[in-house]
Amino acid sequence: MATTTSAVYIHVIEDVINKVRDEFIQSGAEDSVLNELQALWEMKMMHCGAICGPIERSSMPKQPVAGGPITPVHDLNVPYEGTEEYETPTAEILFPPTPLQTPIQTPLPGTAEHSMYNLPTPSEYPVHDTGGATTELKPGRPSPYMQPPSPWMNQRPLGVDVNVAYVEGRDELDRGTPNPNATQDFFTMSSGKRKREELPPQFHTSGYLPQQDGAGDATFEFFQSEASRGSSSFNVRGQGSGNPDKLLAKVMGASSRIPQQDGPIADGYDDLYPYQGVANEDYNTVTPAGHDLQAGTPIGGAKNEGGDDDDEPPLNENDDDDLDDIDEEGEEQNTQHLVLAQFDKVTRTKSRWKCTLKDGIMHINNKDILFTKANGEFEF
Amino acid sequence: MATFELYRRSTIGMCLTETLDEMVSNGTLSPELAIQVLIQFDKSMTEALETQVKSKVTIKGHLHTYRFCDNVWTFILQDALFKNEDCQEMVGRMNDTYSIIV
Repeated sequence: MATTTSAVYIHVIEDVINKVRDEFIQSGAEDSVLNELQALWEMKMMHCGAICGPIERSSMPKQPVAGGPITPVHDLNVPYEGTEEYETPTAEILFPPTPLQTPIQTPLPGTAEHSMYNLPTPSEYPVHDTGGATTELKPGRPSPYMQPPSPWMNQRPLGVDVNVAYVEGRDELDRGTPNPNATQDFFTMSSGKRKREELPPQFHTSGYLPQQDGAGDATFEFFQSEASRGSSSFNVRGQGSGNPDKLLAKVMGASSRIPQQDGPIADGYDDLYPYQGVANEDYNTVTPAGHDLQAGTPIGGAKNEGGDDDDEPPLNENDDDDLDDIDEEGEEQNTQHLVLAQFDKVTRTKSRWKCTLKDGIMHINNKDILFTKANGEFEF
Repeated sequence: MATFELYRRSTIGMCLTETLDEMVSNGTLSPELAIQVLIQFDKSMTEALETQVKSKVTIKGHLHTYRFCDNVWTFILQDALFKNEDCQEMVGRMNDTYSIIV
C-alpha cells in the first residue's frame, strides 16, 4: 500500500513540477526556484512518511512514522533510566533519602560541616535522586520504566537549591555510608537524561537542576518525605542506635509514601508520622540546622521554591503519568484520521447510512491510502 | 474535468502548501505562481487518483455526526473499520470524511 501510495505521490509531484515549468519560465522565474520547490516538497513528504523513497527520496524511512514520534521519546527515557545501574546500589538507595531529609529539615547540628558538604553536594544530589528513583523503580521495575522517569524529572527541578541543602545531609550520610562512588556514577548516568533541559553548569547533577526547577515542587516534597525519614535515620545514628535495616525500611516507605508527601510539607509530615511512626523528634532536630544553612546560602531561595512547590509536588508523580497520558492522547488526536474523497451518492435508510465515494485519499493511522472507490456503511 | 481543492488537505497537499508558503514568504516565489502550482496540483492529483489508483475500500463504523453543507458531506465516525483489497484493516477512533459532490 505504502509503496503504491508513495509512487502515486511521486508521480503527482513530478507531474505538477513539469506542468508548472512553462508558467515559471513565462513568469521569469528561474529553474532553480522550481527545483527548490520540488526538493522542499519531497523533503516534507518524506518527513511525513508519505513518501517512502524507493526512488531517490528513500533516504528517509518514514512509514513507521505513525508510532515514531511517541516511541522515540519512550526509548530515550528507558535508556536514561538505566534501571540496572540504579538498582544495583541498594545502599545508595537507602542513603539518598537521608540527604534529602536534611535539606527539608534544614536544622542540622553542625552548620560548619554542612558548609563543607555543600560544595560536594551537587554530586551527591544526583545520587540521591537516583536513589529515590531506584527505590521507586524497584517495586515494579519491569513495566513501569516509563512512569518512573517522569517522576524523576519532576523531582529534580528543585534540584539546584535543594542540592546544596541536600549536600549537607548527603555528606554526612556518605561519610556514614560506604557507597558514595557508586551513587555518583549513577548520577552521571541520570545527568545524561537530564542534560536536555539545562545543564550542568556545576556537576553532572547540575543537569538535573534545570529539570528540577519545573518539577521542583514534586522533588521538594519527595525530598521532604525522604528527608523526614532520613532525619529519623540520622537521629538514630546520633543516638548510636542507627540501624541500617531501619533506614532502608524508612527509605522504602518514603518512596512509597512520596505521593502523599508531595502535598504541603506540613501535611507530608503528618502523613509520615502516622504511617511510619517516624519520630517527630527527628524532624525537629534535623530541621533547625538545615534552616540555618539554607538561609545563609542561596539554597534558602531553593527552599522557598520548594515550599511553593510543595503544593505542586503531589502532582509530580501523578503529574508525570498524567503528562504522559496527555501526550499520548494528544498524539492520537493529532493523528487525525481523515478521508478526502468525492462522493457519488449518499443514502439513508432510517439510521443506516450508505455512501459511495470515489477517488479518495485516506490518512489513517499515519498512513496514506488512496482508493478509487469506497463504500461506507454507518449506523447513526 | 472539474478540479477539486479538497485534496489540498491531504498529506501531499499540505506539504505542498507549506512549501509554497515558505517560498513565498522568502520571496523566492511569487504568490501568483504559488497559486498556479496549487491549481496544477489539484489537476494532477485528481488525474492520478483516476488513472493510477485502482483499490477499493469499504468503511464501516458508527456515525457520530453527519453534515451536508455547500455540497460537502462530512461524516464523523467512531470506531471506524477500513478494509481494502489487501485485507488490511484499520480502526480509527474518529474519522472525518469529507466528500465533494461530483
